[in-house]
Amino acid sequence: MAEVLAEGYNVFDTSKSPSGTVKYLASPADVIALIQSGKLKEHILLVRGGTTTFLAPALSMGAIGVITMSGAPESHLGILSREFQTPCVMTAHLTSSESRYVVGNTPEAHFEEIAKTLDGRKVRLDCTDHEIGRVLADD
Amino acid sequence: MTEGLDKTDYDVLNAVALKKMASADAIADAIGGDPQQVAERLQGLAGRGLVVEAGGSALPTDEAEPALRAAADQLYAPVRADRTVGELVERFETTNSQFLTTMSAWQQVDVGGRKVANDHSDAEYDGKIIDRLDKLIARLTPLLDVLATHDPRFSAYPRRFRTALAGVDAGRTELVSSPTVDSIHNIWFEFHEDLLRTLGREREE
Repeated sequence: MAEVLAEGYNVFDTSKSPSGTVKYLASPADVIALIQSGKLKEHILLVRGGTTTFLAPALSMGAIGVITMSGAPESHLGILSREFQTPCVMTAHLTSSESRYVVGNTPEAHFEEIAKTLDGRKVRLDCTDHEIGRVLADD
Repeated sequence: MTEGLDKTDYDVLNAVALKKMASADAIADAIGGDPQQVAERLQGLAGRGLVVEAGGSALPTDEAEPALRAAADQLYAPVRADRTVGELVERFETTNSQFLTTMSAWQQVDVGGRKVANDHSDAEYDGKIIDRLDKLIARLTPLLDVLATHDPRFSAYPRRFRTALAGVDAGRTELVSSPTVDSIHNIWFEFHEDLLRTLGREREE
């Protein structure tokens, strides 16, 4: 079995297992640039939170998979990802790190570590489990 | 870029920022304006680097949010000082949590402890969810009413909710949560973001 790089909440069970290079999106400009590049479907999108509302255009334009570093499956982004049937792993943590997201009490270093580790890596999402969504190495 | 937004620019840019991606027609519909006029305003906003056009729609740039925040600080100081608004907003947070849970229950049903996609074959279950949504929307009325006394554009929300609910009652269930139509979830989400910006608050996780 492929190496599990990160795990989080699985927003909905699906046999879809999208594969792509992780792209960290920090701002609306990153989303616009990605859409305009025409390479949206080559990437698994990594964003900071369930409240990262600027991701919506990417979902409506056909994003193939999403990883967030905070937020719950009941959040706005969770609701959207189910509507678009875009596999989504929320509040993902690195399996190689002890650091975990805690609401209102998470150091910047937590997010930076995840973004640094995953950004640019070829991964595959496994969203078949009813609770845990997995980010697998695919390189 | 440093000059402030006038009220019409604010309304147009605010609608783009709330919708994240919107055509002039959709913006005109949301703010009750003329599509041609909205298109001209969008051009002006694009010239100032506040929106960009992609795929036939306007998207907000990174500069849009700070510009809106600065304008809202000026425009909505009286709303922020209104104690009735303050009290009603406290209650909104609870209603919002219940709304999100209800929306998830519309999308997924619990079968033996496992969440599976709602296939909408159980009319009674769906009916209960729609009733709950109806009640949650009704709970917004006092807040929407008082906001509309400060800025009439807030009266667009009750109108949009009524249209969506009437559509749902007529069997168009995509008007509950579909992101591609003016669904209850979309309208609610836009209202929540609009409210936070009006009050100068940040979204909580």
